[in-house]
Amino acid sequence: MSVAAEPVQLPLARPNVLDLAPLYEVLRREAPIAAATTPAGDPAWLVTRFTEVRDLLGDKRLGRSHPHPEQAARITTAAIQNGPSGNYDTEQADHTRMRRLLTPAFSAKRMRLLGDYVQRLVDGYVDQLVTDHAAAPDRVVDLRDGLAFPLPVSVICRLLGAPEQDRERFHGLSERMANYAIGADAERARAEFSEYMTGLVEAKRAEPGEDVISDLVRAQSADEAFDYAEMVRLCVGLLFAGHETTVNRIGLGTLFLLTHLDQWQALTADPDGRVNATVEEIMRLGAPGELGLLRYAHTDLDVAGVTIRRGDAVILSINAANRDASVYADAETFDPDRAERNHLGFGHGAHFCIGASLARTELRIVFATLARRLPGLRLACTLDELEVSPTLTGSLAALPVTW
Amino acid sequence: MKVSVDQDACVSSGQCALTADDVFDQRDSDGVVELLDANPPQQRLRDVQSAAAGCPAMAITVRP
Repeated sequence: MSVAAEPVQLPLARPNVLDLAPLYEVLRREAPIAAATTPAGDPAWLVTRFTEVRDLLGDKRLGRSHPHPEQAARITTAAIQNGPSGNYDTEQADHTRMRRLLTPAFSAKRMRLLGDYVQRLVDGYVDQLVTDHAAAPDRVVDLRDGLAFPLPVSVICRLLGAPEQDRERFHGLSERMANYAIGADAERARAEFSEYMTGLVEAKRAEPGEDVISDLVRAQSADEAFDYAEMVRLCVGLLFAGHETTVNRIGLGTLFLLTHLDQWQALTADPDGRVNATVEEIMRLGAPGELGLLRYAHTDLDVAGVTIRRGDAVILSINAANRDASVYADAETFDPDRAERNHLGFGHGAHFCIGASLARTELRIVFATLARRLPGLRLACTLDELEVSPTLTGSLAALPVTW
Repeated sequence: MKVSVDQDACVSSGQCALTADDVFDQRDSDGVVELLDANPPQQRLRDVQSAAAGCPAMAITVRP
């Protein structure tokens, strides 16, 4: 296989939810920065090699905004990572303010304090799964509905101060916003989500609580440079990213472990000793979605022999970078014992996932608890039978398991 | 072992404090790394090296 002179048409079809298209290996080797055509039909650069993806994630010459947004290449018809966002002139200042506001609420110390609460929740969900398992004639339960979905939702609702009883509503909106196969309905979902969030924001203004949305409402009313619509957009982003990503990662992690039963058995033999490394390997190899993180060049730059022009769209494939054979031995193998301990699963640089400590806390507790309490856990279907939704985060509709 | 941190490079991710909270902390005001122990005992090497490898700003240096 070799790289054609034509731009690579995205997305690259994958064989199943755990493996990537074989073309990525060729691209990393022969064209680490390749001309591509986005699902929306516009030109973009696709970056696949670890070093370049990491360096460009940390490079301030690229941003989420575009000097001329109306001329920017579009990526998909989804309402997330679909095109430029934010104000070109104030992006860095806006980002710095946002991180300053949010960093204390998501600090490692706060997340560690949240650990007991997360453990109680996980124990409760596992109790219920055990009950449902005993009652089910076929002894099959859905780990997605019983644990992977409700846990991150409950935790992010508590942190943000969002009502958990609204979960089907905001989850439905999140799925539609991230869906690239429903045309303009994705943007309609964003509008509906903004409307929902505006209601919540105003309820917090009237009756503030000890939560992140209340903090943001207070900060916005005290800072003229902090635009109201930007605050609402940020709150939508937090509620979206705060649950959708972790729901999917619990699903992917379960699939990796239950399709590598030697690794699952090693974890059940020593949950506390092995869970951290297992979670890091799940973060490295789990590859949700078909694209990558979107940036626009804010100036001309030369990378790996390619000249990227100001305004060009750049898709940084975290999925491909995390399987770079020049960085990882047996890169495609799920191996928590590997020597390499770095990965780009939470990104890199100034935009590094602000919820990383939260996600690591949840994932460590989930997988240690499953290993301790349900050591006989098995998949109750084949990988091919799993339904993956056409969203940027590639979520599983259900995850049938038994023991 | 000797550990040093670059507070100017730090992006306040807090991953070091999550990995080795006896060696690293985050400033309350802005989340920037604070070094609690510049010479941790050798048995902490693995966690400290994980913290350095996991730093999204490559702001931690470890000399075993």
